[in-house]
Amino acid sequence: MKLRPFLILLAVMVLLAIPWLVSSSMLNAAIQMLIAALFAMAFSLLCGQAGMLSFGHAAYFGLGAFATVHAMNAFNGEGLLPTPLLPLAGAAVGLVSGVVAGYFSTKRTGVYFAMITLALAELLHALAPHLKGTFGGEAGISSFRMPAWGFGFGTAIEVYYLTLFWVLLAIGLLYLLMLTPLGRLALGLRENQRRLRFLGYNVHALGTLIFAISAMFSGLAGALQSLNIEAANYAELETHVSTVVLLNSFIGGVRVFLGPAIGAALMTFFGHVTSDVTRVWLLYQGIIFVLVMMFLPRGIVGELVERFSGKRPAGEGIRLSEMLPRLAGIAVAALGGVVLIELLQRVMSRDYRALAAGGQWPEITMMGLSWQPGSPLTWLVPLSALALGLALVLGVNRRAAARREATA
Amino acid sequence: MSDPILRLEGVHKSFGPAHIIRGVDLEVRRGERHAVIGPNGAGKSTLFHLCSGEFAPSSGRILLDGQEIGGMKPAEVNCRGLARSFQITNIFPGISVFENLRLAVMRKHGLQFTFWRRVSRLDNVTQEVEGLIERLRLGHRAHTLASQLSYSEQRSLEIGMTLASDPKVILLDEPMAGMSQEETEYTVGLIREIAEDRTLLIVEHDMSVVFSLADRISVLVYGEMIATGTPKEIRENPQVKEAYLGEEVAA
Repeated sequence: MKLRPFLILLAVMVLLAIPWLVSSSMLNAAIQMLIAALFAMAFSLLCGQAGMLSFGHAAYFGLGAFATVHAMNAFNGEGLLPTPLLPLAGAAVGLVSGVVAGYFSTKRTGVYFAMITLALAELLHALAPHLKGTFGGEAGISSFRMPAWGFGFGTAIEVYYLTLFWVLLAIGLLYLLMLTPLGRLALGLRENQRRLRFLGYNVHALGTLIFAISAMFSGLAGALQSLNIEAANYAELETHVSTVVLLNSFIGGVRVFLGPAIGAALMTFFGHVTSDVTRVWLLYQGIIFVLVMMFLPRGIVGELVERFSGKRPAGEGIRLSEMLPRLAGIAVAALGGVVLIELLQRVMSRDYRALAAGGQWPEITMMGLSWQPGSPLTWLVPLSALALGLALVLGVNRRAAARREATA
Repeated sequence: MSDPILRLEGVHKSFGPAHIIRGVDLEVRRGERHAVIGPNGAGKSTLFHLCSGEFAPSSGRILLDGQEIGGMKPAEVNCRGLARSFQITNIFPGISVFENLRLAVMRKHGLQFTFWRRVSRLDNVTQEVEGLIERLRLGHRAHTLASQLSYSEQRSLEIGMTLASDPKVILLDEPMAGMSQEETEYTVGLIREIAEDRTLLIVEHDMSVVFSLADRISVLVYGEMIATGTPKEIRENPQVKEAYLGEEVAA
């Protein structure tokens, strides 16, 4: 266990060094990754630790974001608080809205709980355009970061460090929370609310409190978003925001502490890179989610922790002789799949269909190569790569299963 | 010795047209081990649900230490000193045995919304949990997930969690169901021990356990208490013999 503090120290040092290591565009992506990581951690306190699946966390993220913009604009732009402390405004509004929403939604469990959270978030989303003063209508509300405490907050580097400070602090607090009686009771809520009731606990109040804390940290994440982009927009209240945090958290693994943060950071990075390269990057995100849920149901981090924590029975460790061909198979299949999707996307794009309707089937330039849509080879090559890769993975899996059978 | 700690007066419970409990009067004396027996479907578990706050009685009164508890929420009933175990094992499956018992012990120490203290630093809680684990003979399983325990170990854990809040009155709903002979013997010993300075109300199907453990026995048949008395009286009660025990006791 001596390894853990060392790893944490190393990770923090890397995070501190990031502004010197990456380009300015990548630094912006890093800020987004930190915010997404915090949001996922806040969401997973409720979903992973306390077992309450919320479909409406955009509401608390959005309210935190708008509260912060208003706080920035308060007193004719002087700001309610010095810039570094502004996230507290988002956290406070998140907490208060979380108490109210949590009071109603935690009266039910399971699907009904999820439906109430969804309904509350949609209610806010439907209401927001009518409250122009608060939510700024279509255009949203913009603001400006004021200098404070000798910092200008005009550069991305300063914003990065401010974000990093708050995110690390919040994640640290969430970790400590899990060590307290309240944190342990969150697990009890997930495992068996009925028994908790018969042990004398006020289950509704506990659920409301955990919900409120989760909403508070979500509001903090929204606040950091506002500080970063110096604006808050109606789009931050959309269902999409609730969905992304859910997908990110599950991809990372909601039951392991840092799983959601790592999942969110990875997926945000993936989105940042791929959205410049391809128009169908959301499709890839969806495919990744489905594959992770099918083959790594504990999430990427959850699965890694499981593999390396020694909880698995002997003989089920990692074997390079199996892992390498498996990875190679996945890579070949992924390449084939990506080429296919990209070709289809181009052939089915509106411009191309207009040309094709005129009887022309011009060649497509992609990845530095030109592809003839009319030639069978164009489709056969990626298809066979996909098939070959999958066959390789399946073959390795079958052999591994046979070996396990033999040793068992 | 004779003042009742738990008293039921004319308790009825209906679910729609189904009249399950039909006017039960029961007095459980302070410090006694009281068993409720009766054929399947007699309403024994419903009676427990009524006493522990799961259901509210349709009519009648339930008094714990002179205070009305009928219709209270389970958490309120628990805080007044009545704890119960469940016929169908009701534990926290995805966390460790230690953690299960810690959740059960914490309540007594007034810990619920506490987010400013580390639970591992609460030495009295930890000591109590460790003592409880030893008593339940689950020492070697302390860090196993509760879902991975054997059935009888889960039953022990179930009893342990009921004990953890140090209640005045314990309701045990078929604690020995599914246990082997040896496990039953150990558990009877454990129950004897824990019931020493408490009141115990127990539902059990194993008649040898009931007759050796209970100070007094009540017989519930189709929602009515047809007799209450010492094991000897119950054994000799002709009504009971006819209604329920029949050959079992005669043999």
